[in-house]
Amino acid sequence: MLEQLIGSQEVLIAIAMMASIVYLSRVGGYLLGLQVRHIGGLRPVLEALPGCAFMAILVPAVRQGNPIEIIALLCVIVLMWKTNSVVLATTTGMAVLVLGGSALEMIRLL
Amino acid sequence: MSTFQSFKLGIRCSGGYFISTFLFGVMFGIAAASAGIEQWQSLLMSASVFSASAQFVSLEFWHSPLPLGTIALSVGLVSSRNILLGMSMTYHFDGHSLLRRIVWLFLLNDPGVVTALSLDKQVGRLGYVFGYGVSLSVSWVLSTWVGLNLAEWFAGAHLGSLNFAGPMVMATMMILFVKGSGANALPWITSGMASLILYELGSPNYLILLGSVSVGIVVAVVHERRKNA
Repeated sequence: MLEQLIGSQEVLIAIAMMASIVYLSRVGGYLLGLQVRHIGGLRPVLEALPGCAFMAILVPAVRQGNPIEIIALLCVIVLMWKTNSVVLATTTGMAVLVLGGSALEMIRLL
Repeated sequence: MSTFQSFKLGIRCSGGYFISTFLFGVMFGIAAASAGIEQWQSLLMSASVFSASAQFVSLEFWHSPLPLGTIALSVGLVSSRNILLGMSMTYHFDGHSLLRRIVWLFLLNDPGVVTALSLDKQVGRLGYVFGYGVSLSVSWVLSTWVGLNLAEWFAGAHLGSLNFAGPMVMATMMILFVKGSGANALPWITSGMASLILYELGSPNYLILLGSVSVGIVVAVVHERRKNA
């Protein structure tokens, strides 16, 4: 398997790096807030950042997706938009991925 | 209300999000197993990182050799909202030592912060958010373990598709952003368009991230200036 080529040390470095970045973002925001909360106009830009990052990752992933994945994603988006239920949307999306993936595999075998 | 009582209140109030976090954790465990990450590594990641978005995003780049720079950049970008969460708590954690605040901020979490803002003033916000975080982190690690074991159970099925759980979760978060924040969606739309163009041009992942987020920031700044003009 390709994944087995990733060494444990490399993985540990990646995990430690991720944990540090996430923690620093949490504590950094609080400490930054203590210092610069009086500055105006910064909040809307910071608010836009996570959404931009999600889109930057999401769009290429969707572009590479197969039909089942696209259908699953559409189900998630529609259900999430209509019901606002994360549980319902993601459960449905997962079901479409699992069942659709298996169905696609069976069709290929036939 | 004492800090310990607020801590217990945080745990008690986290029931609903405990369940949804559990679901995400199961999905993460399955997706992590599908990406080929070993069980102990996935559990270590969930315990130490404690961030669904950061962990799902990292799975997108989990291949040999690990692109540490791209992972760091993407994790940093999706974690940038934590800066806002932390800033929103600026006025609410007073009365505790700086050391305690810095240590307990490890478990800062979105639902804990959001619900803390509407609490009675007698409740200690730091204790409450920390209690909430302890509950969600237990749910997160436990459900990762469940997901990892379910992945083995799903091994006969078409597990490869579950790699797509990451983008699906990101899509739900994106919709929560769009519906809940009331912010202008133009930076996000332009970011998405820029990432598509950069992807079609065959750009490396880090350049897609940097380029499209930069475009989004520029649009956000221009929009803010026009609004204030």
